[in-house]
Amino acid sequence: MNRCPDRTQWVLFAAGETSPRCRRALQRHLESCQACRREVEAVERGLAALETLDREPAVRPQALDTLRKRLSVASARRVVRRGVLARIYPYRWAAAAAVIIAVALGYALVPSPTPPPGVPAGTRTAWMDETQFVDEIAEISAEIELLERGALATLWESGNGSNGTAAESINGESRLPSNGLGIEGGVPG
Amino acid sequence: MTERTGDPPDVERLLVSFAPRVYGLLLRMVGRPDVAEDLMQETLLRALRSMGTYRPEGKFRAWIFRIAVNLARDWIRGQPRRRTVPLGDEADETAPGVTPAADAPPDADAVSRERARDVDRALARLPNADREVLLMRYYGDLTFKAIAQATDEPLGTVLARAHRALKKLGDLIPRQNHEPLP
Repeated sequence: MNRCPDRTQWVLFAAGETSPRCRRALQRHLESCQACRREVEAVERGLAALETLDREPAVRPQALDTLRKRLSVASARRVVRRGVLARIYPYRWAAAAAVIIAVALGYALVPSPTPPPGVPAGTRTAWMDETQFVDEIAEISAEIELLERGALATLWESGNGSNGTAAESINGESRLPSNGLGIEGGVPG
Repeated sequence: MTERTGDPPDVERLLVSFAPRVYGLLLRMVGRPDVAEDLMQETLLRALRSMGTYRPEGKFRAWIFRIAVNLARDWIRGQPRRRTVPLGDEADETAPGVTPAADAPPDADAVSRERARDVDRALARLPNADREVLLMRYYGDLTFKAIAQATDEPLGTVLARAHRALKKLGDLIPRQNHEPLP
């Protein structure tokens, strides 16, 4: 090996993590390369410096006690959870089917949250169907027509009355046409 | 101790056995013993809760330390200043983690403590990503390949970070009487 190897190789070399074959090759190179020897020395010095640290510093006994307790609690929870899951596991398909059926039944049976006025709660019928709606409108129209006719008849009578003035509607406009008859096409009986 | 056990008490014991090293890594990452303690507990609790997501092809230890590093990153990200406080400067010297290596002879305590403080200062000056690699290697006892797998980073990236960090550490630390590896 004439060319200097990558510098990171010396980290593996100094840490003893190279294969025997690679190690022999690197050692041969070191014998003839001053620069690489310095490189290895620097890395070894760094590793030796690390060794001055306490590898297993003492942990406060209280901290270890707390750790043991917390681990014990967490471990117990884990065991319980595992037990529950193990018991449920054989019935997982039955449980899934039960959930689906419950949801479907819930959708079918639960009444709508805001029933329309006049409709008893719990019924899904519409407030009024189309036929009922048309009949209702026709009935209201007929009532309005009757009221209008009655009002016009009263006006007619009052227009031909003592003061001879044309009657005015509530908003002050004359409801009667200018010919004074007030009704086109005759007045009902 | 076997690393793959199924019974909860075994898992608990296994996790508690990781506590000192996880604490050591977190202490060097966050620089505060109280925070490191909290994060250590959180790391091991999360490991227990997420035991189902652990992939057996990876190293269990690497997985634990990855959780720890992620939690420390989150904590650091939430701080207004990102600088890690060198333990020797501002922390109580009697605090756990500042003590020198346990196997150091008693007469070497002072020297060892001073040297450990120098290393702490040097570590604190490193970029977070570089420091993480060294701490995972040292406290997790992980190979660089395992670190690359645990952090989902290319091996080349991890080695480049380690190289940069080790050289800086070696430069900042006074030359010691260490024997070069054979």
